[in-house]
Amino acid sequence: MMVGMPSWSRRWSGESLIRLLALLLALGLLVVGLLFPLAAMLVKSVQDRAGDFVGLANFARYVQTPALAGSIVNSLTIALTSTAVVVGLAFLCAYGLTRTCMPGKRLFRMLAILPILAPSLLPAISLVYLFGNQGWFREVLMGESIYGPIGIVMGLSFWIFPHALMILVTALSNSDARLYEAAEALGTPKWRSFFTITLPGARYGLISCGFVAFTLAITDFGVPKIIGGQFSVLATDVYRQVVGQQNFQMGAVVSVILLLPALLSFVVDRWIQRRQVAQLSARAVPWQPSPSPMRDWTFATICYGVGAIILLVIGTAIYASLVQFWPYNLSLTFKHYAFEALAGGGWTSWGNSLKLAFSVATIGTLAIFFNAWLIEKSEGYRPLRQGLHFLAMLPMAVPGMVLGLAYIFFFNQAGNPLNWIYGTLIILVLNTLVHFYTVCHLTSVTALKQLDPEFEAVGASLKVPFWTTFYRVTLPVSLPAVLDISVYLFVNAMTTVSAVVFLYTSDTRLASVAVMHLNEAGYFASAAAMAVLIFFTSLGVKLAHAAISHLLLTRAQRWRQAG
Amino acid sequence: MTTLTAPVSPTAHAAVADAGIHLEIAGLSKRFGHFTALQDIDLTIREGEFVCFLGPSGCGKTTLLRAIAGLAPQSTGRIVQCGRNISRLPPQARDFGIVFQSYALFPNLTVFDNVAYGLRNRRDDRHRMRERVAELLTLVDLVGSEGKYPAALSGGQQQRVALARALATEPGLLLLDEPLSALDARVRVHLRSQIKALQARLGVTTIMVTHDQEEALAMADRIVVMNHGVIEQVGTPAEIYRHPASAFVAEFIGSMNFLECCPEGEQSLRLGQRRLDCTTHECADLEQARLAIRPEAVELCGRDEGLSARVEHIEFLGAFLRVSLTLEECQQALTADIAVRDGDALGLTPGMTLGVRLPAEAMRLFPSQEARP
Repeated sequence: MMVGMPSWSRRWSGESLIRLLALLLALGLLVVGLLFPLAAMLVKSVQDRAGDFVGLANFARYVQTPALAGSIVNSLTIALTSTAVVVGLAFLCAYGLTRTCMPGKRLFRMLAILPILAPSLLPAISLVYLFGNQGWFREVLMGESIYGPIGIVMGLSFWIFPHALMILVTALSNSDARLYEAAEALGTPKWRSFFTITLPGARYGLISCGFVAFTLAITDFGVPKIIGGQFSVLATDVYRQVVGQQNFQMGAVVSVILLLPALLSFVVDRWIQRRQVAQLSARAVPWQPSPSPMRDWTFATICYGVGAIILLVIGTAIYASLVQFWPYNLSLTFKHYAFEALAGGGWTSWGNSLKLAFSVATIGTLAIFFNAWLIEKSEGYRPLRQGLHFLAMLPMAVPGMVLGLAYIFFFNQAGNPLNWIYGTLIILVLNTLVHFYTVCHLTSVTALKQLDPEFEAVGASLKVPFWTTFYRVTLPVSLPAVLDISVYLFVNAMTTVSAVVFLYTSDTRLASVAVMHLNEAGYFASAAAMAVLIFFTSLGVKLAHAAISHLLLTRAQRWRQAG
Repeated sequence: MTTLTAPVSPTAHAAVADAGIHLEIAGLSKRFGHFTALQDIDLTIREGEFVCFLGPSGCGKTTLLRAIAGLAPQSTGRIVQCGRNISRLPPQARDFGIVFQSYALFPNLTVFDNVAYGLRNRRDDRHRMRERVAELLTLVDLVGSEGKYPAALSGGQQQRVALARALATEPGLLLLDEPLSALDARVRVHLRSQIKALQARLGVTTIMVTHDQEEALAMADRIVVMNHGVIEQVGTPAEIYRHPASAFVAEFIGSMNFLECCPEGEQSLRLGQRRLDCTTHECADLEQARLAIRPEAVELCGRDEGLSARVEHIEFLGAFLRVSLTLEECQQALTADIAVRDGDALGLTPGMTLGVRLPAEAMRLFPSQEARP
């Protein structure tokens, strides 16, 4: 027995050391990829051009410049209006999906997810074709221009709708039939049980949905960039200050201001999540709607109305990318897909986007899932694990524009040893990974929490090193969640503009950035074509994901149905 | 110095005395913030013994098991396994196999792969590994289930796979954390004897945590009764049942009558106005005490003998009758379990009055609850 001891303790210290190293590495990733850049940005906002400390002078100048300060009001107006529109529509549709027997729910769900697969530039481009100076439905606006708040609200509503719908469907699915039966037994009218049971049950979902929609709306760059015209908002101000006027200090100031509403909604959302935990008891009986033709068809009409709009917007972009010259020559052609001679980098940028999306999807999925595992399933180093969890939650509160600009400030410093990644694909991968970290982290944590808490203990008692249990058990059992994460990362890497718009170079130009450049240069049809290309790439990956998941769950992971 | 007549050195002597001891726990405490989960636990477990940690939920029994496994290290104290101080070692470096209440079978691996999980790591050659798994599956009576996934097995079968997996690496110590509580009653009773027989055959030192006293009585060589993070009593099932060391143990194991009484000297007591003889007790200095007696020890007789009592209620429980009585003089409730035949002989009916005898050797005295620290 005594003989075995040295080797055992050596093995232990080895395993423990690896765990510690992995934790430090994970922390390092988020410190370098998130904390340091943000700090660099905060520092920049209180410096002048020469790099001397000037206190809040930049902020004072910002407030005194009407052209800039006005954007705050603009942004708030836009964001609040879009939030109201989206939450209202999404609630109706979610109610239709969860609480009625409307026909074709599956089809509507598929339609509703489509806007996520396109960059937010796409709806803006389509709206220009539909309501612009040569648009088909110009008269509907009664003389108002689509370039401005109306266009921005419409574009944002389209793009945010799927996010809002997903949250509200989840919120409304959690229903307890026993409450409704009790209400019915007491002779409660339907409208009253809606206000006393349905709404209170979904209130956390509604609040959370409101904040998510608000954050997405106020931080989005793509829609106002294309369709904003002279109407400036915070996100476009950051871009204009930095790219247009090379005024990095003012860019940092606007970024700090843009960070505030996002931080606020982040805090509120966390607070709500904490309160929501034990809302539904395990003994709740799910409520099943019974047919009611009047109600069912009303909601079917609403949902298919929304679905039709989604199809119309996407269809317009596709159609516009295929016609010779809108609206004068409507014969079909593929010539707008020949990007080579135009601005934006052409097909190479699409290739770059693919490279980025695949890298982020593979590296990001493994790193984020493993980090979540370190936090959830290991003993010891408590402060480190809590710190890592906090850092993993933070990216949700940082708008893409802010993160992108922060990367310039941090990685472009002359003294930074990581300066060499500036201008490469690596910085784009790191940036995108960090930008979309939080949702993936939460998905991982949820999946891991569903596993038996004793797997690791069993592995340890059988003297199996922790990484073996990780790849032989934890990873295969969590595979559906892992696949979800990878697709989420892929699609977002494909469609994002805001964070990467500051970080690409001529070698690493991305498809989403190309859409913007083509549009700026006046190649509207080719901009539409590139946006459509991104959309179909995302759609293809999404479909492949569905097929692979189905195959895995029915064939390779037969054990799931063994019962 | 190595002459045969030289006296054996004290350390050598101690080593001989230790030979039969598998696990030694000394001064072990575990705190979570201000809450003390375990306080100053001392316990010795012999080689090959089957020990049960028994107690109500929250008494610290699972915490103690997890401390022995190294899954939740103790705050202070020493754990020595086979002469090796393992107090600060991580679970990987300790010698034990464990079965959890949830079994924690790996759902994506077959029964074979689950059982072979710890063997594969030892780089045993495949042939030997296959032999070992077959041997283990024979042991737990699951031959033919090698290719099945856990979800296709019943609860009892899953439990046995977990047992085979824990035994695969031939651990010196087997830890069972409420292994039977997730099963339904009939499977539980069947598995109880199976596990006990298996343990006896393999001779592996075993610690089982349970809150089910019947399970503990049926399976254990020795029972460790725990409450509020301390050990109340350690003893064989018979010792614990017959001579509970505290009112808690008396109440927790089996059923027990408690009567308020007044001690008078060391060998007698006063119940109401009656003076009764009893075995030597330690409550002589107290004014009030609790008299404990098992229902099956209470004897019923004619109304002119013993203490007079009124029959309140009779429950028919198959093999015996449970009679609820009120002692007329002191107005205290008492339960007696008597054979059906004896009940018939007495002509028991609710409302009748009869006599009760409390045998001196069956009575035990504990300090009153108020007097307890």
